[in-house]
Order: sequence, then structure tokens, then C-alpha cells
Amino acid sequence: MNDIQARLTRCFAAVFPDISEHQITNASLDTVEGWDSVTAATLVTTVEEEFGIEFDADILGNLTSYESIFNYLRRTNV
Amino acid sequence: MKLIEALEVMKQNRVDESPTFEIQLACGFTPLHFSTFLGAHLRREFPGSQVAISTGTFGDLPGNLERLAKTQGFTIVGVIEWQDLDPRLGIRLLGGWNPPQLNDILQTVRHQATRVLMALKTLSDRNVVVLALPTLPLPPVAFTPGYSSSQLESDLQCVRATLLSKLSELKSIRVVSSQRLDQTSPHAERFDARSELSSGFPYSLSHADKLADLVSTFVRSPLPKKGLISDLDNTLWNGIVGEVNIEGISWDLDHHTQRHGLYQQVLASLADSGTLIGVASKNDPTLVEEAFSKRKPFLARDQIFPLVANWGPKSESVRKILEAWNVGPDSIVFVDDSALDLAEVKAAYPDIECLLFPRDDDKAAFNLLYKLRDKFGKIAISEEDVIRRESIRAYHDAVGAGPVEGYTPEGFLQQAGGTLTLTFLKNPPDPRALELINKTNQFNLNGRRHTEASWQQYLSDPIVFMAVASYEDKYGPLGKIAVLAGKIEGDDLMIDHWVMSCRAFSRRIEHGCLIGVLQKFSVNQITFDFLETPRNRPIRDFLGELAGDSTLSNYSITRKQLFDTCPPVYLKIQEL
Repeated sequence: MNDIQARLTRCFAAVFPDISEHQITNASLDTVEGWDSVTAATLVTTVEEEFGIEFDADILGNLTSYESIFNYLRRTNV
Repeated sequence: MKLIEALEVMKQNRVDESPTFEIQLACGFTPLHFSTFLGAHLRREFPGSQVAISTGTFGDLPGNLERLAKTQGFTIVGVIEWQDLDPRLGIRLLGGWNPPQLNDILQTVRHQATRVLMALKTLSDRNVVVLALPTLPLPPVAFTPGYSSSQLESDLQCVRATLLSKLSELKSIRVVSSQRLDQTSPHAERFDARSELSSGFPYSLSHADKLADLVSTFVRSPLPKKGLISDLDNTLWNGIVGEVNIEGISWDLDHHTQRHGLYQQVLASLADSGTLIGVASKNDPTLVEEAFSKRKPFLARDQIFPLVANWGPKSESVRKILEAWNVGPDSIVFVDDSALDLAEVKAAYPDIECLLFPRDDDKAAFNLLYKLRDKFGKIAISEEDVIRRESIRAYHDAVGAGPVEGYTPEGFLQQAGGTLTLTFLKNPPDPRALELINKTNQFNLNGRRHTEASWQQYLSDPIVFMAVASYEDKYGPLGKIAVLAGKIEGDDLMIDHWVMSCRAFSRRIEHGCLIGVLQKFSVNQITFDFLETPRNRPIRDFLGELAGDSTLSNYSITRKQLFDTCPPVYLKIQEL
């Protein structure tokens, strides 16, 4: 697991305490029961704080899975 | 604390099976991360409790407070921002900032502030409320440039100040200090417009963390330390009196030694607020007494008890002071300019908090004054605070000189003329009762502590009684020194809490308390909810003696047993 993955996994584990570590990498709006507007806002803020970034408002709607956030972080070279 | 750390603390909270500490959070914004930070800080303040935070409706702070009107025995955290008093003072609604509208904004704020005040008055009768008044900057509503204070801003601050003043009169309302918040959370870094617009959460993470930290400290309300032991030379005053003589010591601007005068000023204030002030000094005692009588420091000689001046180790002087006060080292702060003396005292008493007096650093000395206020500050000064020092001094004057011919402890008690007064009122609860429950260690039935809210909740049970005992004898009053609380179940009096101040030892007040409750209630047995703690040996020994059972396997005593085993109690016992 690389550094981005490890830190992102920690963010997901903190925001979604009910899912196991191996479920985290497949986590998405469709697969995680507790993923609602409040947890989404918490997740976004936690990831922003952890990686020292601010997501563009335009892409927030696309950040609906672990994979999409991971790919964004990788693309932006955080 | 970072948000991820707060979330991880709360994750642990979910699997914890310890008792739940419930908080009602009333705010008008989306509680989001503030709730998370508050929960995490409360978990740290109350490590033995699971924290549960309930929240209200978005955008309706006054309504949220009004809906809590029927709650009882809860801790309520209220956070009021300007937008809760008029949404036009926020940025999520576009209600207009035109000059003709400003007066209407002011009137709405006044009306809503009155509504909030009324709701808080109702709540504070039966709950404890910790409150933060507007912490965020006003948006650019007024027509004036930002560097100019507008009429609207002045009027709004006036509403805020009036609200604060009226809230200060309510005894169960605790308002977070805006000055302290300013020190930890810079004003310009508090508001997060992006977060407010996207999710209705107006705080930056840093501000949410700092405010939650302050609020949770207030919810716990740490007990003040009981006593301060200070050095003299280069601490209470500048100079070594044995070297520069009485005329050479100073604490004023002319000698650039004002920091010592400020320190004296704080100690004098603490002394008159109920903090015990003692002195441990390596000095000639005669010279020290002369310095006090001739130079008259702001901390007067009679505000100090005891003053121990000798050439022995500081730890030995500290031991004598602790004995005179009969308090544990963990309730004490020791201040000295000598790192060596601090280390020596710390080695002997690891639980004493030792603080260096920075004799050459005005800034550090000024910060020390804030630190002392935090360690000894209290919400209100009680009658007991006023008489504590004198009652300890009077007792020591009476017995401290050593036995004279014909003295017997029994005879001393007999001639003291003690009166024990029991008050069985529990509504409104006497704040002194909770103070005793939470700070007494030695004569404490089980060491169980309460928050203000949980104490109110406990007392609200109709079968619960509470007795507060006051004592006085010919040497003066001790004030309220004991509390018993419990339930009557048939023929049995179940004692859940029993604490007695260590100042009241050796007078058979504990026997008097039991006789007093048996006079009040027609029961034949008293059962004690005893639990051994590391420090409650005095009450264990007392119960063991009464029950005739040194192992104390049985925590009950019958009325007959009590009167058969009780030694003579030379007290007049009365109910108020």
C-alpha cells in the first residue's frame, strides 16, 4: 500500500467506522450504507485536511467512491 | 486536534460500554465537525464515559433552546452566532444589506436575543448550560468601510454585552470567555465561507477545535486547587531579605520589580477567595515577620497560614504546611524562583504541581498570573471559602500549642460547645454539596463524582434525600462540611454518597451526622454504598469501628448498633 492509499484508507476508516479495512478500497456511495450528505461532507473535509488540499466545487459530485478520490489525489500529485 | 484524530477518538467512543454522558447541543448551524470535535474533547475530559451528543433543527437556535425547555438534569451546550439572531447576519440567505434595512436587523437581533434569554432562563432552572456567544466576525452588512466601527456594529455589540450581563446573573449558565477564545483562536481565521456555503458549517476546522476544547473544559469544570505555597525571596518580593535587609526588598515600578507586586496582588485575591496560602522560605523567621509588619506587602501577613521560615529543606517546610492544612499534595501548587528547591519538593511530593517564578522575565511572570487564575479560579465564592483560613488557624491555635496539664482529647471536645446543623433541602441544590462530593477524598464513601447535570438528575429522583451538615463551635464556624445523600427503602436508609471535609475530622461530626439522619428518618438500618478507593481509609476505618468489623465485610449498621458503639458525641444536633 503506497502513502496516498494508506492515508486515504485512514480517512475512510475514521469517517466510516463500521466498514472493515478490506471493504474500504471498494467503498462507494452505493456500497456503504452510512454514506449520506453529512458523512460525505465529513469525508471531503477530512481528506482535504489530511492532504492539505481543497477540492474544486465542480468535482465534489464525482467523488463518490474510494477509487474516484484516490485517482483524483494521484492525478493532482499530492 | 485534527479532524481525523477527533473522528478516531469518536470511533473508540462507539465501542465503549461505559456509562453514557449525554449532551444536548443547541446551535443554529449544521453541527457537523463542531459536534465531532466536542465529542472527542469530552471523551478526553471524561475518559470513563461514552459521549452522546443530541442536536436540534438547522437554522433555528431559539427554537432549539425552547424545545429543550422540559429537559432536566442535562448538560446543554449552546452556541449562538449572529446569524441565529438574524439570518441577514449570515451569508446563506440573501435578505438584503441596504442601509434602510439595518435598523430592522438591529430590532430583529434585539427581539431574538430576548427570546434566547427567556429560553435560557427556563433551561437554567433544571440544567447546566455552557454557552458561547457570537464568536464569528460580522459580515460586511453596514455601509461603513471595514476599518470603521459602524453604528450597527456598536449597537449589536451592545445587545451582546447586555445579553451576557443578564446571563451572568443566572447561576447555572456558564459563558465561555471571549478573551480566552481570542487567545487560542485568532478572530480572522474563524470563519470558513466556503464551508458555510457548501454545507452550512461556518467554522474553520481550527476554530471548531479550539471552541470545542474550551467548551468541554467548561463542561468538566476542573476543581480548583486548594492551596498555594510560595517562596518569599525573589518570589513574593524582589531581593533576599537576609542580604539586602528589609528596606532593600521591593515590588514596584521604581525598582523595576512590579512583577512581584502583581504576584502579591493575585495571591491576596486568591486568599480572600478561599485559597489557602502558605509560605515556605529559607529564611530567618524573625526577619520575615519584621518584613511583613514594616513593609506591608499586598499579601498581608494574616492572609498567610502557616508561614514556615527556617534553614531546612523546602520539602520539610512543605510537609508542615500540608499537615496544618490536612490536604493532599495533589491539591497544591508550589511556587519558587529556585529550580533546585522546586526539584527537591517535587522529589519528595511528586503530586505537587511546582511552578517556577520567573524573577527576571516580566512577560513570563505575567503569564504565570493567568496560570494561577486557571488553577485556583472558581465560578462563585462560597461562605466556606471566606472562613476556611480562619477556621484552620483557630483550630491550630487551640490544639497546636501541645497538651497542657489536665488536657484530655475527650475534655477538649466536651468544652468546645459544637453545634451540628443538618439541612435536608435539595431544591435548589446547594452548590457547596456538589463541591464537597467532587473534591473530598479521605472521608468519601465511594469516590463517586458528579457533573452538575448528573448531580441535578440524581437529586431529581423523589425518593432521594440530601443532608448538608454545617458545624460551629466556640473556636468559630467551619461552615458546610459534610454531605449525605441516599434513599429510604422501607426500613433501610441507603447512603449513596457521604463526604466530609478533612477540616471536620476529630470532632465526632461523622457520628453526629448519622445520629442526625436517624433523628430525621424512622428507619432501623443504614446501608452504606461503600467502595474502597486509594485514599478513603478514614471512612473505611470509621465504618469498620462502628460495625465492629475491621474487614468491613458488611456495610450495614442497625440503629441499635450505632447507639451501642457510638462514643459520646458532645454536639448539639439540630435541623434547620
